[in-house]
Amino acid sequence: MSSLKVAIIGAGTMGWVHSDGYRNMADVDLVGILDIRADAARRLAASKDTAAFTDMDELIREARPDIIDVCVPTYLHRQVVEAAASAGCHVICEKPIARTLEDARAMIRACRAAGVQLYIAHVVRFFPEYRRAHDWVASGAAGRVGVVRAMRGGAFPTAWEDWYVNVAKSGTVIVDSMIHDFDFLRWCFGEVHRVFAKSQLGRDLMKLDHAFVSLRFRNGVMAHVEGTWAYPKGFQTELEIAGSQGLLEFRSGRAAALSSQFRQTEHTAAGVEVPESPLRISPYQRELEHFVQCIQSGEKPLVTAEDALKALEISLAALTSVQTGAPVVLHETAGYDQE
Amino acid sequence: MTKQPLGIGILSFAHMHAYAYADVLKQLPNVRIQAVADTDEERGRKAQAQYGGDFCVDYQRLLQREDIDAVIVCSENARHAEMVLAAAEAGKHVLCEKPIATTVNDAQRMIDACEQHQVTLQIAFPVRFSTPLCRLKQTVEEGRLGRIVAIRGTNHGQNPGGWFVDPVLSGGGAVMDHTVHVVDIMRWLSESEVREVYAEVDTRFYDIETDDCGLLMLEFENGVFASHDPSWSRPRAYPTWGDVTLEVIGTGGVTQVDALAQHLDVYSDRDGGYQHAFFGDSMDAALILDFVDCVQTGRMPSISGVDGLRALEVALAAYESAQSGRPVRLR
Repeated sequence: MSSLKVAIIGAGTMGWVHSDGYRNMADVDLVGILDIRADAARRLAASKDTAAFTDMDELIREARPDIIDVCVPTYLHRQVVEAAASAGCHVICEKPIARTLEDARAMIRACRAAGVQLYIAHVVRFFPEYRRAHDWVASGAAGRVGVVRAMRGGAFPTAWEDWYVNVAKSGTVIVDSMIHDFDFLRWCFGEVHRVFAKSQLGRDLMKLDHAFVSLRFRNGVMAHVEGTWAYPKGFQTELEIAGSQGLLEFRSGRAAALSSQFRQTEHTAAGVEVPESPLRISPYQRELEHFVQCIQSGEKPLVTAEDALKALEISLAALTSVQTGAPVVLHETAGYDQE
Repeated sequence: MTKQPLGIGILSFAHMHAYAYADVLKQLPNVRIQAVADTDEERGRKAQAQYGGDFCVDYQRLLQREDIDAVIVCSENARHAEMVLAAAEAGKHVLCEKPIATTVNDAQRMIDACEQHQVTLQIAFPVRFSTPLCRLKQTVEEGRLGRIVAIRGTNHGQNPGGWFVDPVLSGGGAVMDHTVHVVDIMRWLSESEVREVYAEVDTRFYDIETDDCGLLMLEFENGVFASHDPSWSRPRAYPTWGDVTLEVIGTGGVTQVDALAQHLDVYSDRDGGYQHAFFGDSMDAALILDFVDCVQTGRMPSISGVDGLRALEVALAAYESAQSGRPVRLR
């Protein structure tokens, strides 16, 4: 099969991560990096030996990508995805699918109308620890699942224009980060019936965000999801699934397969502990390989754009609950074409 | 003249914590277990043989003894009230197992009676005496966490069976059993009262009449928000009975506490596979020492009946919220 040409829009953190993934894939040509910050685009493009762009039309005209990979801030997803779809490019787009359900539905519609695929990068489904946990539940080994606990977070993210602090753009830790766990839990336990949440939103969200979300699934499973951007540093995830026949625990801190401490040198500070959980193929690369294979074979992806829409719906319900102080009941009918 | 030893009576061994408390009391030089009362005669006589003193089936007889200064009430939750009321009337100081009672009305009557008869009423929240949690309290008081933003708690366990799963005697399952410790700690740390409670409560692990799992979401009067998981969700294969964990998120940092983290991992083909062997300080010992000191010096109890009542209110509100599907406003 001939190589597929990919261009990445957005040379921030995820643009770097995705470009690393593509560079390791034999059947993909990374044909361009676009960022409205010319220097950022040039830096990433140079490191991956590809072309830098600042203009979408120019990129499409000159690089002729088959796939546009969207790594821009959440609130800009729609405009980039619509442009990519109208150019006939398949789309891989970072999570969350969008900041609003309206935008998400418009993106799904635009890609359908253009006859291109839309994949949303809910990478947690490609992390082996989460995949193993999902399969353990699916095998029935847990018995009847009762209570699930998920935790994700660390320091407040820093990014272009500090867009994470803007609730209208990022949707707080609940939309940006906890959506990973909402998607994972939906994958394991099906649809959510009721959402109740508490967070820093509306209190004093000054680069210190923390949230607790209580989910009740239609099948009766209850889940506690904790998301934080309140730690002074670091990043960690935790998962616990308790059932009538067994319990599964995962803590990223304990899964560090190696941990190093280095003496101070001219270039580094002393005593910084570097924990690692190394994998031959990163979960990000695994995810991108899967999407590329789906484009080539036409198979249904492990996570669909509709799944991403449903995860966003849970995040937004949690935000609403924080703001109203009341639980939010989700309805089965909230599919993408119910407007 | 030598000082008279402090005379203690134990009212019921229905709650297994009675054994832990009696073990500590037995070690203390200035304290004597004078009598044990238990409606379960076999259980009571066994305890008497283990800890000394006299045995009686009727706790009223125990309360009439002049050589008893204080009693420890470890009966079924729903029987706390009658025993504590009788003890107060008999002028005995009281250490009452948690939860203080199964209804707000009972709890209030217990508090009023002890006040009226000028006896100490302390509620057995030993977690306040856990050395790691005391260190957390110190960290908060020193201001190192800044202002508290949120607190996450868990107090997981296993189904204790017996009267714990009889709603008439226990007043509720996991949520009744495992909410009050951590809510008490959250009140202690935040120095604020719970204003509102939302909860999911259900029975999903065992075939029992009470609940066995729940998730609580709390809002304190000072704006701190919190969550708590009191579920009996540990399987039999778990290496210990459960956990007590707390995470405090502050403007100045984050502290995570695992009250049972000080353990050895023991893998034994002889004794039940993988087990935790706890080596930290005993919180039960610290609780009993505190109670004894409180009675001997006449000072105010470290953990009052009102503390017990406030924690009970939250557990009861959790049940109410789960019933209605709405948050319950306490104040």
